[in-house]
Order: sequence, then C-alpha cells, then structure tokens
Amino acid sequence: MKATIQEENNEYVVYFEGRLDTASAPQVQKDVQDLIDSTDRDIVLDCNQLAYISSSGLRIFLSILKSAKANGHHVYIKGLSNDLRQVFAMTGFINLFEFK
Amino acid sequence: MIIRRFVRTFATENNKLPFSEDMKHKSQRITSFAARLSLWVILTVAVILVATALIANLFVRDGILREEKLRAMGALENAQERIANVFISVEVAVQNHVNEIENNVDAPHEEMYRITREMLETNPMIVGSAIAFEPNYYPEEGRYFSPYSYRSNDSILSKQLGTATYDYPTMEWYQTPKELKKGHWSEPYCDTGGGEMTMTTYSYPLTDENGNVYAIVTADVSLDWLSQLMDSLKYYEKSYCFMLSKNGTFLAHPIKTTVLNETIFSAAKKLGSKDLDDIGHRMVSGDADMMRFDSPHLGNSFIFYKPISATGWSMAIVCSSKEFFRNATTAGLIVAVIILLMLVLLAFILRAGVRKLTMPLTHFTQAVNEVASGNLDAQLPKIRSKDEMLRLYNSFRTMQKSLTEQMEELKEVNEQKGRIEGELKVASNIQRAMLPKIYPPYPDRDDIDIYGQQTPAKAVGGDLYDFYIRDEKLFFCIGDVSGKGVPASLVMAVARSLFRTLSMHEPNPDHIISQMNARMAEDNEMNMFVTLFIGVLDLPTGRLRYCNAGHNAPILIIDKANVKEKDFLPCDSNLPIGIMGDWKFTLQETNITPGTTLFLYTDGLTEAEDMNQQLYGEERMINAIPFGTTSQSCIEQVTESVHAFTGDAEQSDDLTLLTIRYIKPENKVRFKKEITLLNDVEQVPQLAEFVDEVCAMLNFDMPTNMQLNLAMEEAVVNVMNYAYPKGTTGNIHIEAEANDKRLKFTISDNGTPFDPTTRRPVDITQAAEERPIGGLGIHLITQIMDSINYEHRDNKNILTLRKKLNTAARQEENK
Repeated sequence: MKATIQEENNEYVVYFEGRLDTASAPQVQKDVQDLIDSTDRDIVLDCNQLAYISSSGLRIFLSILKSAKANGHHVYIKGLSNDLRQVFAMTGFINLFEFK
Repeated sequence: MIIRRFVRTFATENNKLPFSEDMKHKSQRITSFAARLSLWVILTVAVILVATALIANLFVRDGILREEKLRAMGALENAQERIANVFISVEVAVQNHVNEIENNVDAPHEEMYRITREMLETNPMIVGSAIAFEPNYYPEEGRYFSPYSYRSNDSILSKQLGTATYDYPTMEWYQTPKELKKGHWSEPYCDTGGGEMTMTTYSYPLTDENGNVYAIVTADVSLDWLSQLMDSLKYYEKSYCFMLSKNGTFLAHPIKTTVLNETIFSAAKKLGSKDLDDIGHRMVSGDADMMRFDSPHLGNSFIFYKPISATGWSMAIVCSSKEFFRNATTAGLIVAVIILLMLVLLAFILRAGVRKLTMPLTHFTQAVNEVASGNLDAQLPKIRSKDEMLRLYNSFRTMQKSLTEQMEELKEVNEQKGRIEGELKVASNIQRAMLPKIYPPYPDRDDIDIYGQQTPAKAVGGDLYDFYIRDEKLFFCIGDVSGKGVPASLVMAVARSLFRTLSMHEPNPDHIISQMNARMAEDNEMNMFVTLFIGVLDLPTGRLRYCNAGHNAPILIIDKANVKEKDFLPCDSNLPIGIMGDWKFTLQETNITPGTTLFLYTDGLTEAEDMNQQLYGEERMINAIPFGTTSQSCIEQVTESVHAFTGDAEQSDDLTLLTIRYIKPENKVRFKKEITLLNDVEQVPQLAEFVDEVCAMLNFDMPTNMQLNLAMEEAVVNVMNYAYPKGTTGNIHIEAEANDKRLKFTISDNGTPFDPTTRRPVDITQAAEERPIGGLGIHLITQIMDSINYEHRDNKNILTLRKKLNTAARQEENK
C-alpha cells in the first residue's frame, strides 16, 4: 500500500495505491498525518489505484475530512471504483464526501 | 359487542313500531266522534221533547176533559130545565083547573067534559086529560064516571073512559096519587089506544072538606119530544144520549126498540158490561158525574150523566173519547211532526257544528301520523279558540319539541356509539396487524415451520404472540395480559413493541424480559400484568434459551423414529412482568433436536369451558396434540378438539396458539477450510488470501469477493483488538464451511468473553463532524452478511457469520 501526497493547482492530491486494510492503515495514517495536522487548502483523494478499503481506511478518510472541514476547506474523492463506492454507500460515507 | 347489539335492537324496534301501529289502525273500525256526539245530543233532546209533549198532552187532555164536562153538564142542565118547564107547565095547568072542577062538582056533568077540553086547549103539551071520579060518585052515571078529552088529528074529542073493561080505580095512575094524596107522574108507558105514543101521565087528587079523595085529574103528556130533545143534545158526530126512568127503563135511546122495552140493567146484563150496570145504579140513585166507560156502540168513551129533578129520571150523554180528544190527538201529531223536523234540523246543525269543532282533531290525527312516520316537523293545525283544543295543541307542541330533542340526543348518542364502535374496530385491526399473519412466514427456510393463530373472545384481546428471525436466531414470545378489552389490548401492544425493540439488540431472553418488566412496572397504576414466555432458538445449533415470566409452560413434542414424547418444557416459576420492576428472571436452556416441536398456548385453551363450566384442561390438550404433522395441522387439530369440547358455549377468553417445529436440513457439506491466525493485524493479508481462496472455490464474483473480504477483516480485526489483553498473544481460529445453501464463517478464540453484536449500530446519516471514528466495522458486517451470531461456549467466543449463496442480487436491492 502506498499513499503519495502531491501539490497540484493549489490543492493537495493524495494518490492511494493498493489495499487500504487494517494492516496497512497505520502506515498510511502516518503518511497523511501532516496533512491532517495542518490543512491549508482543499484536498483531493485520488482513488484510481485503490483496490480495497476497510473501516480502518475509512477512518483515515474521515480524519482528513474532519480536519479540512474544521479549517474551512473541501475534500474531494476522485476515481472511486463502483465496488468501493458500494462500501461508501453501505457506511453512509457517500453523503459526507464530495466526488469529482 | 354489547354496543353493537344495543344499536341493532334499537334499530329493529324503531322499524317495527310504526308497522305494528299501522296494523292496529287497520283492525280498528273508527266511528266519528261528531256522529257519536250528535247521536247522544239528539237522543237526549228527543227524550226531553217527547216527555214535555206527553206531559203537555196530558194537561191538554185533562183540560179538554174538564171543559167537555162543563159543556156536557151545561147541556144536560139545559135539557133538564126544558123538561122541567114542560112538566111544571102541565102541573100548573092541572092545578089551575082544580078550583074550577070543585066549583062545578054539582053542575051538570057536561061541565066536566068542557074542563078537560079546556085543559087541552090551554096547554099544547097535554095530549089527553081525564077527571076520574071515585066509583059511584055520581050514582046516576053508574059505577064509573071519567070524562076524558084527547087530541085526534088536530081536533079535540071527548069520551067517557071508564068501562067494565077499563077498571081505572085499580090503575097505577089512579092508585098512587090517591094513596099519596098529592100530584104524581106515572111511569112512562106506551099508549096503544091513541096511536103508538110514549106517554106519561100527571095525576092530581081532588079532596073534599074531609080530606077524602073523590076524583083524580090527569094530564097525559107525549114524550115523543124527549127523543127530539135528546137528538138536539148530540153535539159530536160520534155521540148519543139516553134517558132513564126512575127504575132504569130507557125513556129515550138512539135505538128506538129499547125505549120502554128494556132497562139499563137488562141491557148491561145482555152486553155483559159491568160498567154499564154501575152507571145504571149511579144514574138511578140520582148522581151527577162523568166517567170513562167502554161503550158497546162507540168503544172507549166518556159518559156524562145528570138526574132530571122534577121526575126522578136521569139523562146521559155518551161520547167517544176518540172524538173527544180528536183535536188533542191532531195537535199531538202536529207537535210530533214538529219535534221530528226539529230533531232532523238539530242533527244537521250538530253534525256541522261538531265537525267544525272537531276538525282540528282530524288535523291533529294527520299531524301525529306524520310525526309517527318520521316527520317530526309536521305542521300542527292552527287553534284560535281558548279551549281544550288549545290545550291539546300545546301538549302536541310540547311532545313534538321533546321528541325532536330526544331524537337529536339519540342521534348524537348513536353517532358516539358508532364512533366508539368504529374506533374499537380500528383498535382490533391494529392489534391484529401486530400479530404475524403471513404463513408460512419464511417460505425460503427449510429449517423451521411456524404457525400461529389467535381467536379473540372480544373485539380486542389481551393475548399476544410474535416471532422473527435475526442472525439465524428465532425470537419468539407468547403472552397473556391480565384483563380484557381495550385496556388489555393497549398493554398487549406495549408489550409487543417492547419485545421487538429490546430483542433487536439483546439475544438473551432473560435480559429481554427483565428490561420489559422494568419498563412495564413503571407507572403501572392499573396494576396490569403480563404472563410472558420468550424463547430464542439458535437455528443452526438447535440451542433453545428461554425465560418464562409466569406463563403456561409450553409443550415439547419429540417425534423421532425411536422416541415419541409429549411433555411440558421445564419452567422456573418467575413472576409475570409488570408486578415487581426489580425481579430477577432466571434463564433456562435446552438443546432441541431436529424433529422437535414446541407447542405454546395461553390459558384460553386450558381454561376453555363447556356448557357445564367444565374446563378443557391440560390432559385433553396434551392428548389432542398430534405427532408427525405440520405446525398448521397441529394447531388445527387442537382447535378442533377444543371446539368439540366447548360446543355452543361462548368463548370466554382469547385463545392463542403458536407451534414451532424445528427441522434441521441435512445439507451436504461441499467443503470445509480453516486457518488459525494470531491476534496481530499484520496477519490481515493472510486472512484476505484465505477469503479469496474460499470465494474462488464458490465462484463468487469480484464485488462479492471484496465485500466478504471486508466483512471478515472487520470481524477478525475486532477479535484481534479486543479478545486478548494488550501485549498478550492468542490464537484466532477461522473456519469456512459451505453447503448448497450458504457459506458459514466461524471465528473462535479463547479470550475474554466479548459479544461484538451488542455494540450500538452506527448512525450512518450523521454529518462528518458528529461521527465517531469507530463502530463502522460491525455495521459493515451486518450489511454484507445475512447473519452474525455470537455465542460463548466452552470458554470460547464463537462468532458465526453466514452468507446465502444466491443473495448477490439481494445485496444490490439493499443498496
């Protein structure tokens, strides 16, 4: 699992790649911790390469969203596959995020 | 029920009433009040008028009679006077000649003839006169000397009367005056010598100085004029007069043959008339009077009679009373006709008058009929007079008003009753809707056969039963609320929703009951309580956990090839719920094997009564429960048995039956696969690998594969995180088993008992800010799997997740 953060068009874009399960979650948490700590612009979560997400992954997404909202910024999700979108639907996360 | 019966009774009565009234009217002949009143008045008036007329008539008759008596007596008096005049004139004429005879006694005898002639000349009434001397008075004349003159054809002739053949000194007319030495009138007689005349003779004695009678002077008087006189007295058409001599001989009578030939007594004898005889005696004795008498000639008559003083005779006038009262009778007839006419007129006037007076009655009748037929606003007749009609009008008015008011009231009451009835029906419907009503309830399950049935005693009852399957566990309950009717049904509804709500997150029946008990004991002012049995049957294993709060113990029916048993399920004696809020309810547990049936019931079954108040009882119930049938058939047979027992007796309590037959499907295990992991999240990829392999064997598609991965990761990570204390290592055993129907994952560990299924579910509609970070895992599991089941057994936490093999489509729907 790999999470890469890039700055593009005055936004932070987080590229997820592979399975975001409970095992990989702690590392990803660390990768995005800076982003959570100081959110100064909108964030795009690029899920084109995300194969799997469990509740641990969802919790990271939620942390990012809460922090951004607290600072008055938006979080967008991009390129989510239909299978994963179902998981978002089951948990109601589909109502929390904005999709690009 | 009672209300409905009342309304129905009222309705039928209301319908019947006018009909029966109508019948009564038809069977009764009504006579007009006007006609009857007229009849009475006319009868009364008629009686009064006729009585008056009769009394008046009596007075009139009396008056007439008095008048007639006066008149008749007057006439008789008149006649008497005329007769007396004649007789006195004759007497006077005789006495006037006495001196002349005495002076000429010694004169030539021719003088005596002259004197007798003179007498006839001076008095026309005298028809003959004689001077009869004592025998041998004049010796030269011989023994008899009696010069006699008499009338013959307008001339007066004389002759010597005494002869040898006519020895006059022996005659009555000679003897009597000679004896009495005074004038004497002879009895009338019929003169045969001088031509058929009724005559009477006045004889007067002549005496010498010595007082010796020497001659008798006579004057014959014809009585023929008496008849004429009598005829002149006849002043009525139907009347006649008659005259009697001193001894009662008829001197005058319309029937001439009787004159001198008969006496009144011989006539009375001949006619057999006592009246006549009586009258004869009165007349002869010289009475003057009148009397009623039955005349042989005129019938019913009056007779007036009076004596003729000079002669000792008596006269009578007989007059027919018919004739007499002719005028009175005519007057009476005229009066009768007038009365009749008056009565007819009165009848007309009365009829018209009474009809006019009673016209309002007719209108009242019409109005009341109209009221009776339902039109309460019927117009009453206008009454102007201040009499009984006005009072009647006022009474009708009041009746009409109060009727209208009462009908309004009745309508309101009925509406209220209808509303209550409707609401009761709704309550009943709601109550029924709460009971499971679709059978079979789980057509796609082959491990359970459930059938329930409730027969309420009243429209709404207090029995409840319910069941549903959650996480491969069958939750079921049966209960009976104390009391009946709406209050019981309300408590029943509360109990049922508490059962559903509390059992949703609590798999232990004793906990469910305890919580229900605590809730229901709060504010239980009505002291209502519920006997309740709750069972939770773990369908895959047949493990039955149950708690009985004072309800009838269910029957356990074991039906296997070698064992056939029917017995009560052992139950601890707990209180019913709602009595003591802090009662500790005990949990009981048993394992039931496939082929076992659980029969649940309320006391409506065991306490069903027949006509003789005999109870159905447990023995009959157990005997009625069959072996080897479906749940539905079992309940039908028991129902049939209890109905046969009670017969026509009214059902006194709700009757609720619930039968659960446990059938374990013998599905072939397609494969079994297991793995043991440590409590380390780093091992999650191994788990994913294991799940992928299982999915591959079952040919699951990619999305399902991913979802199963997700569910298993959430379940296993949960165990990894919480089963063992931090820092200790423990094993987690995972087993996958699949048959034709479903895939089952069993996750077991030896850690501290922990039931993940009791965690509060996540509210997925919450906004990001409000969401807690945790709690998503269990939610995802329940979303993906068909059931999640936790058990702590043999010091192990056992979590079972099941997924039907053909439910991919259902997953789509749920989304």
